[in-house]
Amino acid sequence: MEAVVVMKLPSFKSLAPNAISIASGHRSFSRVRRSSSLSVASSSATIATDSEPVSLGHSTRKDFRILHQEVNGSKLVYLDNAATSQKPAAVLDALQNYYEFYNSNVHRGIHYLSAKATDEFELARKKVARFINASDSREIVFTRNATEAINLVAYSWGLSNLKPGDEVILTVAEHHSCIVPWQIVSQKTGAVLKFVTLNDDEVPDIDMLREMISSKTKLVAVHHVSNVLASSLPIEEIVVWAHDVGAKVLVDACQSVPHMVVDVQKLNADFLVASSHKMCGPTGIGFLYGKSDLLLAMPPFLGGGEMISDVFLDHSTYAEPPSRFEAGTPAIGETIALGAAVDYLSGIGMTKIHEYEVELSKYLYEKLSSLPNVRIYGPRPSENVHRAALCSFNVEGLHPTDLATFLDQQHGVAIRSGHHCAQPLHRYLGVNASARASLYFYNTKEDVDSFIVALADTVSFFDSFK
Amino acid sequence: MAAAMSSSCCVSSLRLVPFKQSMISSVHYPVKPLISPPILSFRRTIVTFQKISTRITRPPSASSSPSSSGDFEPIEDLPPKLQEIIKLFQSVQDPRAKYEQLLFYGKNLKPLDSQFKTRENKVQGCVSQVWVRAFFDEERNVVYEADSDSVLTKGLAALLVQGLSGSPVPEILRVTPDFALLLGLQQSLSASRNNGFLNMLKLMQKKALLLEVKSEEDTSSGEVSESSFETTPETVDEASVLEGDSDSKPSLVEDLEAEKIEEVDTGSDVVALGSRGMRIREKLEKELSPVELEVEDVSSQHAGHASVRGTDGETHFNLRIVSDAFQGKSSVKRHRMIHDLLQEELQSGLHALSIVAKTPSEV
Repeated sequence: MEAVVVMKLPSFKSLAPNAISIASGHRSFSRVRRSSSLSVASSSATIATDSEPVSLGHSTRKDFRILHQEVNGSKLVYLDNAATSQKPAAVLDALQNYYEFYNSNVHRGIHYLSAKATDEFELARKKVARFINASDSREIVFTRNATEAINLVAYSWGLSNLKPGDEVILTVAEHHSCIVPWQIVSQKTGAVLKFVTLNDDEVPDIDMLREMISSKTKLVAVHHVSNVLASSLPIEEIVVWAHDVGAKVLVDACQSVPHMVVDVQKLNADFLVASSHKMCGPTGIGFLYGKSDLLLAMPPFLGGGEMISDVFLDHSTYAEPPSRFEAGTPAIGETIALGAAVDYLSGIGMTKIHEYEVELSKYLYEKLSSLPNVRIYGPRPSENVHRAALCSFNVEGLHPTDLATFLDQQHGVAIRSGHHCAQPLHRYLGVNASARASLYFYNTKEDVDSFIVALADTVSFFDSFK
Repeated sequence: MAAAMSSSCCVSSLRLVPFKQSMISSVHYPVKPLISPPILSFRRTIVTFQKISTRITRPPSASSSPSSSGDFEPIEDLPPKLQEIIKLFQSVQDPRAKYEQLLFYGKNLKPLDSQFKTRENKVQGCVSQVWVRAFFDEERNVVYEADSDSVLTKGLAALLVQGLSGSPVPEILRVTPDFALLLGLQQSLSASRNNGFLNMLKLMQKKALLLEVKSEEDTSSGEVSESSFETTPETVDEASVLEGDSDSKPSLVEDLEAEKIEEVDTGSDVVALGSRGMRIREKLEKELSPVELEVEDVSSQHAGHASVRGTDGETHFNLRIVSDAFQGKSSVKRHRMIHDLLQEELQSGLHALSIVAKTPSEV
């Protein structure tokens, strides 16, 4: 992101010399020969030689200082990326820069700093729009996170469009954030929630989904990639079926936007939500993509400053989207840092990231399933079925909490245990909880190896006590 | 216990490891006295107990030992069995061996009967399932039983059960969670949602308090004798106003009331029957000439689910019939008889019957 800043605002360069010198670091993998100019902590494998291609995991690790530490006496192996991702130095610098050099409230001021802040803020919006190929940056509404974005649609679009007897189709594998808001809204409006269950491959039953769609359906709200099953849904087809009956589609893209190319034109979804903190951006910011005509027709969600046009004592008129849905002072620094994250990811290339993760995912699945008594949830990978780079699993006779605790305490391996905000799914699968290891492009095969070794040790430790 | 420990642990000589002060300072969590108002009444009644230490007048959160930080309860104040356990853990250096010790405790924990795995006994906020049960022994010390589906949590529960069982209520209430640091297990001990250990301790303290309060109420009103405490705490908890579980409370309380009334007068009506209940009674009396007949309207227990919506109650009944008419008939035939007799009701809103049908000789 700093490179773009340099081009657009030449005077800025003198204000933030530190930012620029560190910024050159993040571009090393797109121009590998220049990596010798790095001032950040190095790993010797960053310079690619023609004979030995360096994996994406190795080449990007140095951008993430947090990964280079010890926990509980062992090297940290961070495998909880589905919960949140780590942030590269470029993103942290962008945040720091904002506060250090041009912090000012946006959209309201006339003075130099506020103009700069506003420019950067709106630039971030454009970056996000471009990242998902929205047709206009006004189709991007910034929220606190994806959960808030879904609630926005539920309260704003849902309350004014759902009538008694209308149907909202979800799956049993949805994250709580894509179940609970609809429960609340359906109680208020009299709409009915219908749930698609899983088929024998442990993915949501697409045929069942198709059959469920009827003239009563007003909304289909589904995940793009499941944070537990690692499966993905054919959104394009689902949108076609939904639009045939006049229903809208909301896509929970939290686990897809960070890991692959997501093109809202291609998907043709009506709403799409994602969180910044899962895609190398800071927490406290997420976004809703909504088609222009839909957003224009929606009433406000939260009321306050920014989202109004004129305010009188007895009534107010509202601003156009996206401002209409962005009440109050936004998380300005975080938004700008999200823009930096988008730049960072684009610099690597989402296709490249995705290809690398497909490899890693296969490796993880193979290694994990080779251990005895391990039950992995979701579909088996194959030619047609690509799993996301995560595995939720259970080891027979071993509680996932015990597993995760031991992995952390004895081996420094960070995974998650619990229901992963998908209680209905776990109930459906017949378990209380599961363990989950989830990877991102800065993980390596060695990370997976460390995990497997640690897991085997953990299992044998607890086995010896049975 | 010590002998059993040495057989499983690799440490043959006991070493007391000085506890690192730095560990305390890095962890800070609020230490609130669990109770404030009732404590005065404890002080009065406590005087009669023999086991209470003379240091009881000190408030729970104070500490006089200069070496510990402000919030920290000195080890000497902890129940003696807990002190033993702490010293044992401190003597084991290797973290892995500590875990082994923990698991060993868990393995030897007396299993908890499934009837006690109720919502009131469940530790909230745990990803694994943990249940704790508490009752008084003859000397009014608290005895605990616990279980968990996670072996580490079970080990921790076992520690607490062993460490706290047999102690009187005030001693238990004085225990602050800091002592867990002394174990050196490095379990996450922050007051976070998923911290099972902290929640377990809190639940155990809460149950101890409830036992004390309930026993004070009973001794003052003279209703229930102390010897019955072993079996009643569960029902006490379920009906107790102090429990916050409002969802399941009404039906449980009704159950208790219904049961009590039934014990008193087995032949007559249990709850005032509405018109359908009366009709059922009449029909059955007329057609079956029963020796015993009980018709109980339990519709309110089913008020939640869909079949009841849109009716005006009187949808679920428990029937207990003792009659010669059942002689020579299989259970299925008996139930069918009753269903046939009550056809009209079943078609006009009666949703379900729970039937006990016996002949006089079978009773």
